[in-house]
Amino acid sequence: MPFERHEYKSLMDLLAVASLRAMDDAGLGDRPVDAVYVGNMASGLFNHQVSVASALVDRLSLMPATAERIENGPASGGSAIKNGFLAVAAGFADVVLVAGGEKMRGVSGPRSTDIVSAMAQPDVEYIYGVTLPALAGMFARLYMDKFRITPEHLAMVTIKNHNNGALNPYAHIQMIVTLEGILTHPQAKFNNPVVADPLRLYDCCPVSDGAAAVILTTEEIARQLKKPLVKIAGIGQATDTHALQERSDPTDLKAVSCAAERAFAMAGLTPKDVDVAELHDAFTILEIAESEHCGFFEKGEGARALAAGETQITGSLPINPSGGLKARGHPVGATGVAQVVELVWQLRGEAGKRQVKDPEVGFAVNFGGFGNNVVATVVRREG
Amino acid sequence: MIKKADLTAYKCRACGHVMYPRHDRCLNCNGREFDKIEPQGKARLLTYTILNELPWGIDERGRVIGIVEFENGVRATGLVLTEEPKVGMKLAATMQPVRVISGIKTYGLAFEPTK
Repeated sequence: MPFERHEYKSLMDLLAVASLRAMDDAGLGDRPVDAVYVGNMASGLFNHQVSVASALVDRLSLMPATAERIENGPASGGSAIKNGFLAVAAGFADVVLVAGGEKMRGVSGPRSTDIVSAMAQPDVEYIYGVTLPALAGMFARLYMDKFRITPEHLAMVTIKNHNNGALNPYAHIQMIVTLEGILTHPQAKFNNPVVADPLRLYDCCPVSDGAAAVILTTEEIARQLKKPLVKIAGIGQATDTHALQERSDPTDLKAVSCAAERAFAMAGLTPKDVDVAELHDAFTILEIAESEHCGFFEKGEGARALAAGETQITGSLPINPSGGLKARGHPVGATGVAQVVELVWQLRGEAGKRQVKDPEVGFAVNFGGFGNNVVATVVRREG
Repeated sequence: MIKKADLTAYKCRACGHVMYPRHDRCLNCNGREFDKIEPQGKARLLTYTILNELPWGIDERGRVIGIVEFENGVRATGLVLTEEPKVGMKLAATMQPVRVISGIKTYGLAFEPTK
């Protein structure tokens, strides 16, 4: 079921559909699920429902499985996967369901913007009307100036990710856009108005409803299930200051670099080993900045690599073959899980028209807050 | 009503690191004792955005929000009261109503262009 505006589906409907798909895909049958982790940022504010993990266990008849909702802003999905991974690694659970979901479109646009803005620093950011696009706009102004990134570079991210999203039946926006339509035509500004200068509408991800789910288990059980094996080879997480103003260099996304380094260290791999990456392009500038902070390109080289086509599905390092947050959509709690689902499909060769050629190692970065709590994950196909 | 800016920042007694807002441990050295300091001199605009999509409760478009740095290193986010913001421009700090939260008029920093 694609991410979109699901007017007639509740958050629980979305989580239940994605969870059943994941259970069936893994071939679990009647095998018990020991633990359930639900990545969700703000069901209490968006949907007036809390304890959603307990509710999901009930919907799916998974009692007496343990169940928790995991909240880490827009990185709730990545954090839920990390918790599921830890449960299996610690021997606490053998079979874990990790679902991520958010239903954001049941409230008006300005209400949704306000709810998401509640993750900003309350006393020195939120009170001014600072939103996530506002933080991204202030970041983009500095980053673009420092590394000579142009609006054309940002549009290249949009065009690439919309092209990829048009190949993804699960994407919220399955529509291609052109440079003329969003930037160069005299009337492009009507299609693509300024949201948070210098960022325009097509630099920002849509607000979506949706859910995604994965099953995590031990290698022994995974081999019994007879599905192609994909291993979580490494997970890293790191934090940074809450307020953007307190970062000595606001263009340095320290938590992204640190989370990626930790994930690669656990996996015993390097950025050079990655064949496909899902980065958190909530704003186009972030795809470029993260591609550098994760170690795929030197600082200042991300836009050049993008312009040279290196990050296309057919390039040397495909980034966001799913369409990314830009086109797949960004139901905040779902995104971190959806990134890993896309990597699993890619590593299994099940990604259809957007399939990257024979990838073995996948990498995801899920960016919480404005980069103040970031989860990076390395996955690897096992023979 | 426009008020004089009464921002209180915190300077670590151990290492001198300047913080705003207050933290319980110093971001630089983990020290726990701070001197209250006021921002000194003019503010310089480090970065800004012009925000057209505002959250519920703020009924306007084109709000300019920026991060500034005062001459003694205090950094703050606030409104920038000009239609032509420019990185590096000099600003003077005032306190003005910035948002109504739960029915209460909340005052915050609003920066005006100065020479």
